[in-house]
Amino acid sequence: MTASGFFRRARFSVCFAGLLVASALVGAPALAQEPPSLKQAVESGALPPMAERLPETPRVIDLAALGRSEGRYGGTLTMLMAQSKDIRMMTIYGYARLVGFDEKLELVPDILESFEVEEGRIFTLKLRPGHRWSDGAPFTAEDFRYAWQDVETDEDLSRAGPSQVMLVDGEPPAFEVIDQHTVRYTWSKPNPQFLPSLAGGSPNYIAVPAHYLKQFHQKYVDKAELDAKVADAGVRDWVALHTIRARAYRPENPDLPSLEPWVNITPPPAERFIFKRNPYYHRVDKSGRQLPYIDEIFMGISSADIIPAKTGSGDSDLQARYLRFDNYTFLKQASQTHGYEVKLWRDGDGSQVAYLPNLNVNDAVWRDLFRDVRFRRALSVAIHREEINQQFYFGLAHPAANTVLDTSPLFRPEYDQAWAQYDPDLANRLLDEIGLERGVDGIRRLPDGRRAELIVELAGGTEESDVTQLVGEYWGKIGIKIFPRAMQLDNLRRRFLSGDTQMSVWSGLNVGLATADVPPEELAPVSSVQGNWPQWGQYVETGGKAGEMVDEPNALRLHQLFQSWRVSSTTEERRAIWHEMLGIYTDQVYTIGTVNGVLQPVVVRNTLQNVPDKGIYAFAPVAYFGVYMPDTFWFSAGD
Amino acid sequence: MTSPLPPDGARLDHFVSQTAFDPDVVEKLTPAQERIYLASQLRLMWWKFRRHRAAVISGIFLALLYASILISEFLAPYNLESRNVNAIYMPPQSVHLFHEGAFIGPFVYGTKFELNMETLKREYTADTSQVQKLRFFCRGDRYRFWGLWESNAHLFCPAEGGNVFLLGTDRLGRDVLSRIIYGTRISLTIGLIGITVSFILGISIGGAAGYYGGWVDHIVQRIIEVLQSLPSIPLWLALAAIMPVTWSPILVYFGITIILGLIDWTGLARAVRSKLLSLREEEYVVAAELMGASPVRVIFRHLIPGFMSHLIASATITIPTMILGETALSFLGLGLRPPVTSWGVLLNEAQNINVVALYPWLILPVVPVILVILAFNFLGDGLRDAADPYH
Repeated sequence: MTASGFFRRARFSVCFAGLLVASALVGAPALAQEPPSLKQAVESGALPPMAERLPETPRVIDLAALGRSEGRYGGTLTMLMAQSKDIRMMTIYGYARLVGFDEKLELVPDILESFEVEEGRIFTLKLRPGHRWSDGAPFTAEDFRYAWQDVETDEDLSRAGPSQVMLVDGEPPAFEVIDQHTVRYTWSKPNPQFLPSLAGGSPNYIAVPAHYLKQFHQKYVDKAELDAKVADAGVRDWVALHTIRARAYRPENPDLPSLEPWVNITPPPAERFIFKRNPYYHRVDKSGRQLPYIDEIFMGISSADIIPAKTGSGDSDLQARYLRFDNYTFLKQASQTHGYEVKLWRDGDGSQVAYLPNLNVNDAVWRDLFRDVRFRRALSVAIHREEINQQFYFGLAHPAANTVLDTSPLFRPEYDQAWAQYDPDLANRLLDEIGLERGVDGIRRLPDGRRAELIVELAGGTEESDVTQLVGEYWGKIGIKIFPRAMQLDNLRRRFLSGDTQMSVWSGLNVGLATADVPPEELAPVSSVQGNWPQWGQYVETGGKAGEMVDEPNALRLHQLFQSWRVSSTTEERRAIWHEMLGIYTDQVYTIGTVNGVLQPVVVRNTLQNVPDKGIYAFAPVAYFGVYMPDTFWFSAGD
Repeated sequence: MTSPLPPDGARLDHFVSQTAFDPDVVEKLTPAQERIYLASQLRLMWWKFRRHRAAVISGIFLALLYASILISEFLAPYNLESRNVNAIYMPPQSVHLFHEGAFIGPFVYGTKFELNMETLKREYTADTSQVQKLRFFCRGDRYRFWGLWESNAHLFCPAEGGNVFLLGTDRLGRDVLSRIIYGTRISLTIGLIGITVSFILGISIGGAAGYYGGWVDHIVQRIIEVLQSLPSIPLWLALAAIMPVTWSPILVYFGITIILGLIDWTGLARAVRSKLLSLREEEYVVAAELMGASPVRVIFRHLIPGFMSHLIASATITIPTMILGETALSFLGLGLRPPVTSWGVLLNEAQNINVVALYPWLILPVVPVILVILAFNFLGDGLRDAADPYH
């Protein structure tokens, strides 16, 4: 660690040293020439020269240390998306965050110059002096103050109050502006979720462009003027107007200043979104070239079904979204003629396809069965995972329970293989033990005499339904007949929350790469979109206003463990909690996993440099391409 | 006694022939003429139909196809869901007769399977050292024939331990030929129920409207207009959503076709009505009415046969429309869903770039669709001509 220890405060005995990071001040690199696309603007005086655009201490990316090369400016990168709301992918790929994960999944300051954590509860964030928004306005502590006092805790703009990660035991932090470049958040108890939430693919925005947004806030504009703006925009009230204009995650507002490497200049609706380089971006390479190397991103909106075909004919320079493993052969064959390369990254989900028995289903008989761990285990060991692997993934995936991947520091074989063996005899024994007798037709009978016919609802594509077909055969052999039913995702969510769905098909844990500092929220009831315990999740999510309290001892233990993680102060403590939770979760088989570590094709134009050959493709924590820094990708000559 | 006449006052002697009176004695029909003029309506239609070559061939083709659905299990070498892990995406194998110059009978060569880890493609090459002779009337996959009794008899099977995939296999290693044969069963029968419902309703309601006219006609016309203004695809979607999920998908689909049949009768009813409006003024209808025939008898006995040709034509056009409709809806993912297998479902599974580029044999289910539609059109053509034998 290069931390100078400058910010360390010795009087606190418990200092969160692991997260105390100061930026790598390697000495200001010699400033190289301007990006050619900006030269004209700089010469005409429309844009200040690069030295004035950069913060005083830009973030220097040492590409050689990452095993990559320094590039040249220019070029347009084209990629394909299926719907216009996919422009949020640019926020994810851009991955400019206050603090962000690096490739080793450690938290490092990015937009921030440094941050300091004391006792796990006092967070002091230091900005880079001279850092500017994409419109040239200074980025200062005022942007944090506005975000916290005028947005997050504003009665009109946040009717439900601050978001969950900003509350510890229901208490908001004390916010202080120390100076123009320093802010501090202080909670009375540790808040380990705070920093990871800033580094997320969909980040917790604690700083917003105040100078721009104030014109839509009733506190700063007189009523008549604001009403005119509201009427102009054709929205309900100023709250709606502010919310729409401030939307940073899905950058639909071309006027909204941003800190990302590329900013959208196309108002939706559009068939093609153009993202132009942010001339005030804060990262440089070691030779002093301001990132990003690539001038423009073109994002074409197309249909999900034909994206593999278009990619195969060379219409995309960088594509992974909407490509599936079974497209690989086709893409590989076409790669020679269309000048691109297909890399295989690994998918970071805990399971490619997972089965979620709904413990809150309305049907009392099924509910009792699903809550019987023997039943869940029987379903799990009846699945022939290796055959699924051979059949759909050329044997290149990994048959496992729904848990963390072997690249995660929390990985243990006993979680990985918990009830993941193929043992139909054991499954039959377990079901016999529960007392589900087989009828003459080979189908078991439920305690009330009905046939054990299970409706499995799925919202995915052919991959889910193919795997489900095999799983249906395996479960048929142990006397459980299933009926797959396809539906819309929103519909499925509504149905399992209302208790109509018996079992849903979902992808596995998002946190397949979890470290102890990543919140283990997916292992505990926290949200109503968890198909295995939606009611319990809703209860926790709403603080008891809706849903039901957890009434199963093991799930309750998971709930308590997660709550204790939320106020834990050391990584060791968190690691112990993670392990206990993973142990319970996999042993209790709350979700039934199939295979994980599936390969994800990543199509890369031959001339596009610096895209790693191996990587993890996942939303969290790597933000898809985000931690691999697309701003350092560049086009070699011959483009 | 030379006069032939009897004496005055006496009865005139006269001759009475004991043989039956033959009115045609002057203009005698030749046997050939007799066959034509005295033939029944059906016989005439058959004669006329026979002369339409394409229609006859189509008729035979369709008859064979419809017959095949009774014994699909026997005709298909594999079961619908038989998977073969070692033969995923295998291209079609060809049948040979001669091996190294010697006649062996129909056989296929064995295949060598290799996984190309470079392109992640399954590559199959014919292994000419392995001669796998097809077996006929043999024992293969077990199935329940008509759901009644177990059997394992098949028309032809692969050699022991071998494979025969004449049209290749799909992503789960299932035999495409067998799936097409099973798909025939659903695709050919699916529309028949809907058509039956729509014909019964169309002819009786349209018949009543045309025969009675007046306010009956008015009401029927307005109902028809309302029904015709309902858009069918959203309706289809809504119906598919409300069908109980525990119904098997095939039952759901039958349900939908029946309901569509309940909606689809309007066009036919209009045609029947307008035809009846003109036909009911004919003398033979008046004659039938004077003799006391009931309206039902007049409509079905005297009026409908008068425009049978029209009905036949519209039936033979509607059946392929229903088959195409099923194919189109299943292709879009709205109609039948796996595990029910129809040609449309097979095509739905084939709609991606991988299939077009790498596994083109999965598009083969279009061939039977085209053939059946053509056959129905030719057959309809022939039947329409035949139904008007005097023209």
